[in-house]
Amino acid sequence: MTTLLTLTPSRRPDGVAQLTVVGEIDMSNTDALATAIETTEGPLVLDLTAVEYLDSAGLSVLFRHTDRIEIIATSLLAPVLEISGLADLTTVHGLDTP
Amino acid sequence: MERSEDAAHELVATAGADVFAADEEVGRDLAGVDWAATALGPPGQWPQSLQTAVSILLSSRFSMWMAWGPELTFFCNAAYRRDTLGGKYPWALGRPASEVWEEIWGDIGPRIDTVLTTGEATWDEGLLLFLERSGYTEESYHTFSYSPLRDDSGAVVGMLCVVIEETERVIGERRMATLRDLGSDPSVVRTEQEVLAFAAQQLSNNLRDLPFTLTYLFGPDGSAHLAGVTGLPGGHPAAPDTLPVDGSGVWPVEMLTRGESVLVALDGAPFTGLPAGDWPEPPTQAMVLPLLRQGGAPYGFLVAGLNRYRALDDAYRGFLELTAGHLAAGIASARSYEAQQRRAEELAELDRAKTTFFSNISHEFRTPLTLIMGPVEELRTRLAGADARVREELEIIHRNGLRLGKLVNSLLDFSRIEAGRMQARYEPVDLSQVTADLASVFRSAVDKAGLDFRIDCPPLPEQVYVDRGMWEKVILNLLSNALKFTFDGSIGVTVRARDEHAVITVTDTGIGVSREEMPRLFERFHRIENARSRSNEGSGIGLALVKELVGLHGGTITADSTEGEGTRFTIRLPFGTAHLPSDALAPAEDGLTVSTADRYVQEALRWLPDEAVAETRSPVTAAEASDQAPGHTVPARLLVADDNADMREYLARLLHSAGYQVDTVKDGLEALQAVRAHAPDLVISDVMMPGLDGLGLVAALRTDPRTASVPVVLLSARAGQEASIEGLQAGADDYLVKPFAAAELLARVRANVELARLRNHQARWRTALVDSLQEAFFVCDEDGAVVEINAAFTDILGYAPDDLPYQPIHPWWPDAATDPEAHRQVEEAFSQVLNDPKGSYTIPVTHRDGHRLWVTATFNQAQDPDTGRKVTVGTFRDVTAEHYAIQRKSAQAALSMRLTQATSLPEALEGALAELKSLWRADCVLAAVSIPDRQPSVTATEAELRWEDLPAERRDRLTAWFDQSLLTPHDDDAGAGITINHPEGSMVVWIDLGDQRPFTGEDQLLLSLLAGQLAQGLARAHQIDQQRETALALQRAILGPSELPEGFAVRYEPATQPLEVGGDWYDTIPLPDGRIGIVVGDCVGRGLEAATVMGQLRSACRALLLQDSSPAQTLMALDHFAAGIPGARCTTVFCGVLSPDTGQLTYSSAGHPPGILAHPDGTTRLLDEGRSVPLAVRPGRNRPEGTCTVPARATLLLYTDGLVERRRRPLTAGIDQAGEAVQAGRDAAVDDLATQVMARLAPADGYDDDVALLLYRHPAPLEMAFPAESSQLAPVRKALRSWLDQCELPPHTVQNILVAAGEACANAIEHGHRDTPGNPVRLRAEARVDDLRLTVADSGRWKTPQPELNTHRGRGVALMRALMQQVTITSGAAGTTVDMHTRIA
Repeated sequence: MTTLLTLTPSRRPDGVAQLTVVGEIDMSNTDALATAIETTEGPLVLDLTAVEYLDSAGLSVLFRHTDRIEIIATSLLAPVLEISGLADLTTVHGLDTP
Repeated sequence: MERSEDAAHELVATAGADVFAADEEVGRDLAGVDWAATALGPPGQWPQSLQTAVSILLSSRFSMWMAWGPELTFFCNAAYRRDTLGGKYPWALGRPASEVWEEIWGDIGPRIDTVLTTGEATWDEGLLLFLERSGYTEESYHTFSYSPLRDDSGAVVGMLCVVIEETERVIGERRMATLRDLGSDPSVVRTEQEVLAFAAQQLSNNLRDLPFTLTYLFGPDGSAHLAGVTGLPGGHPAAPDTLPVDGSGVWPVEMLTRGESVLVALDGAPFTGLPAGDWPEPPTQAMVLPLLRQGGAPYGFLVAGLNRYRALDDAYRGFLELTAGHLAAGIASARSYEAQQRRAEELAELDRAKTTFFSNISHEFRTPLTLIMGPVEELRTRLAGADARVREELEIIHRNGLRLGKLVNSLLDFSRIEAGRMQARYEPVDLSQVTADLASVFRSAVDKAGLDFRIDCPPLPEQVYVDRGMWEKVILNLLSNALKFTFDGSIGVTVRARDEHAVITVTDTGIGVSREEMPRLFERFHRIENARSRSNEGSGIGLALVKELVGLHGGTITADSTEGEGTRFTIRLPFGTAHLPSDALAPAEDGLTVSTADRYVQEALRWLPDEAVAETRSPVTAAEASDQAPGHTVPARLLVADDNADMREYLARLLHSAGYQVDTVKDGLEALQAVRAHAPDLVISDVMMPGLDGLGLVAALRTDPRTASVPVVLLSARAGQEASIEGLQAGADDYLVKPFAAAELLARVRANVELARLRNHQARWRTALVDSLQEAFFVCDEDGAVVEINAAFTDILGYAPDDLPYQPIHPWWPDAATDPEAHRQVEEAFSQVLNDPKGSYTIPVTHRDGHRLWVTATFNQAQDPDTGRKVTVGTFRDVTAEHYAIQRKSAQAALSMRLTQATSLPEALEGALAELKSLWRADCVLAAVSIPDRQPSVTATEAELRWEDLPAERRDRLTAWFDQSLLTPHDDDAGAGITINHPEGSMVVWIDLGDQRPFTGEDQLLLSLLAGQLAQGLARAHQIDQQRETALALQRAILGPSELPEGFAVRYEPATQPLEVGGDWYDTIPLPDGRIGIVVGDCVGRGLEAATVMGQLRSACRALLLQDSSPAQTLMALDHFAAGIPGARCTTVFCGVLSPDTGQLTYSSAGHPPGILAHPDGTTRLLDEGRSVPLAVRPGRNRPEGTCTVPARATLLLYTDGLVERRRRPLTAGIDQAGEAVQAGRDAAVDDLATQVMARLAPADGYDDDVALLLYRHPAPLEMAFPAESSQLAPVRKALRSWLDQCELPPHTVQNILVAAGEACANAIEHGHRDTPGNPVRLRAEARVDDLRLTVADSGRWKTPQPELNTHRGRGVALMRALMQQVTITSGAAGTTVDMHTRIA
């Protein structure tokens, strides 16, 4: 059984593709995340605001696409994103958000 | 330089130099020197100083020479020319001195140099110089002085030598010294050899005049033998040992025999390599001089090697002759001395014979004289009571009169024969008859001596002329002699005719005569010393007289004898009268009585033991004892030793009548035995006795400590002070010379007995005491030798006083080889005896018959008052029985102790084996228990020893013993074993004693006893083991749950050992709804009784909670239950129900101390609500309930009063202390905290009451196990998140922990389980007050992270490390564990 994860592609008002992720990301469902990102061409905004858990397996997927993604997250994920250095490679929004 | 007579005259005349005028002759020769050619120039130009010097030289009568100028030109005067210069004159004049005295320049040159350089004169006395002045190199001696000569300016330019030649004096003195030394032998008496040796020593001191000498002496055959050598090595061809008489040898013997001196040139073969003596070159000539004997041929000759540096002048020749004369005189005196010596020795031999004669005759005369004088004296005092005794004494006088007469007669016969005055009367007799008659007189004596007497005298064909009186003496002397020296066998007399002779033999089977003694057998006064005989009587004249008498008859007597077998005397008398002087012949006379036979027989009978004479006298009657010293109830016992029976009897009678108890013995050996058997008060002994004599007896008595103090009075026929001193020196107490007066003897005996009694009183008393001791008594000397023992000693050890002293190592020591330990014990004790002033010890010893004894000895050091030496006096007791009894008892006690102390069967067995090992000092002790179908189990004093380690032989033997009868010891060469019952089967105990240690009967008995005890002990231990196991099982059953829910920790300590339960209890009861019932209770009392109550209450409480989970309800029901159980009343109980997820706690307390809740913020709260009375105090009454919430990371402590209640301290103080203890352990895991609290609150000497303690920390740690599958990550995360919520942590902290834990789990799943998927991963999380610990463990092995290949995994570990404060990854064979901590305060 994989961890519950909802991936919702969308397009932002400015036309940039967006992927809204809800649930927890761990090694059991990173393939789904990876597929979802890879099926989207061009710049992509990842909305992780509703992600309750993100570990290194999930991070490694994100690291593969740092050149074209921007991330929206909350302070809950801040330590992981900052410690891993992902926040330095890509634009992360909303880390101050509680 | 040329010399010309004419020129000389011319110069003297022309120069007019009066410088040489002082001596006409030498002056003229000086003037003749061509001075102009010398360094000095013409005399006219000589400086005044030179002229003056020459003038003085020439005018002096002293022998002088001088040297002047750069070449040291030579001058001399007339005296020097005459004495020294000799043939060098006048050649030497005007020549350089070094040329003139070239041959001695090495000697004098340096001296002259010294004078010239220092200006100081030299002085030499008697300097040896070899001069060439007489045509050969000549030994000369000069005393001279070199003085400086100065020129007009005062500078030294020459020297003057004043010379005195001393050759004659030096050599003369040297020769005189040799001659003087030759005559200076300090010894008075010299043998020829000594004379020659001394002379050689003196001659060798003068190797100048005598470079070598040889002394030859003529032998009887005229050949010469080398008798002395000086200066020549042994074996030189010039010094052969012998020179033949014909003169063909090296030296001209023939000429010397005639007494002429010969000069021999030492050329050629035998003389090469001769030594040079003190000279550079060997002699060229030798002088050979005869050693002249006054009025006879020379003794020999002296060869003297001659000094080649001196002419053989009259003086030298005279010296040699005097030397030879000295030697001859010395030899003459030595030879004459030797001759005198031989004469003196011959005279001395004669003297010795005489001395022997007189000393013998002295003894023989004086002893009978004593025996005559003694009785006569007694007779004089009591002639009145003329009774049987008087007659007896008269009989003695008679017998000794006979004997003395016989002796005197014999001596008279001798003197007559010697003087040729023997009046013989030869008459024709039937010699067989006469001889047989004479012999038969001796029959009774021979029979009495127990000897066979064979008289074989068939008639002869014709009569023989004999003097009857003389013949009688011949036969009787021979028979008497035979009887005296024959102790068994036979004596025989035969008469035969052979070759015109009557041949009479007297044979015996006696002691015989040794080969060395045979030639002197018939010598007058010769006695064979130390021969075993019936009597020491005899003067040694018997056989000599016989020979003389046989000789008077024209006959011969010979003896042949074999020592130890017997002697045969053979007399041959010619038939007829041709050999006898005709005037001494007489017609036959019949009926002539045997006149002297009686004396011989009487004497012989006295040598034999006489049954009629009681050797031991009966004790005297009171009346007879009147003469004895008063005050003694026991008469003194005297021992008389004398080989003369009459003397024995006389002394016995005399002393007996004086009131003494008298024993008599015949010689020294018997005396010694008698004294050793029973020491008398006094010994009276003759000095001269066969075998051991009186002096020997005294010496023997004195060397034996047991008899050393027995007083001895010696009797001797030898008069004189020396004899008595000899006796007293030997150790005799007194000395009497025969003849002595009876009164004197009695006085001496009485004095000595009194003295000895006084002296011996202490000693005898001591001896009596010592012998009466039941303990063994001994005395050791300084070296440890046992020198005295008593009867008990012999009884106990079997060693008798006969073999004293016993030197260490004493024979009763245990053998060092077979029993080293026992030997060592004795050795130790012995060193104690030698070194300590006193002490006591118990040691094993060996009886003479070999059996083992134990003795306890006590000893003290003392000082021997006589010698001042250290002795050790000791006693000992036979404690063998005690020893073994004690050994058994103590061994049994020790074993019993071991068995009692043991808390289990194996411990009991191990202890017992150790005890056996120490008891027997065994190498090892083991016990093998047979187990069916398996190899036996082994317990041994060597802990590691197993059955298979034993040698096969030993295993077989042990196996065989399993079936042996019980408790019967077996032993073999290596040790001993015994079979006993073990609760698990048959057991063999084996004691390995090592090599050859005896295992005695006592040991076997002991082993049996101990084995029996061991069997009982093991059975008991086994029983106890079983009971204890039962009890433990029961106790554990009533104590409480063995598994606690997570988060709980408990401790229980019963007050009563060895019980593991008491009146207190704790309980946790998982309830069906997930809550947990918690109970801590305390019954009144302690020990087993309280425990039984507790067990019931605990079970009841547990059941009630399961039925109705309200604590108050439960306690109210328990009130009723407890009311029905004796001893349950007043039990206090805390009963609660906890929701582990929320920490909600409902509780009720039945009089129990309040629970303590320690908050994470450091505050403490008491659970003091819901309180009511103890159980069954008010049954039926409602009980209140309290509630509280246990906050996250708070700790709850429930306990019984044993934890906090102390005498003289309020309970609240204890409760506060408990709270502090819990707070102090906030960071500890809950189980560690339980230990800390128990330790922290424990009184110094331990808890004296039952203690139960229960801790709970909220929330309980999270423990999860899940399959290594990624799908598990979400549920695990959920559970962990929920537990972290219980811990009430901030959301970010929770998130960090979740990510770190997730990474660890992901790693465990991904890497730890690639090989074994599905194996569980374990996660544990535990919160403490300030700290959270998380552990993820798998059973796999992680790979070293390789970030470039697997970046996100490497990132995982980095995340863990970043999110947690401490991360430890431990990877091992069993798996990998990630241990993470983070602060959560």
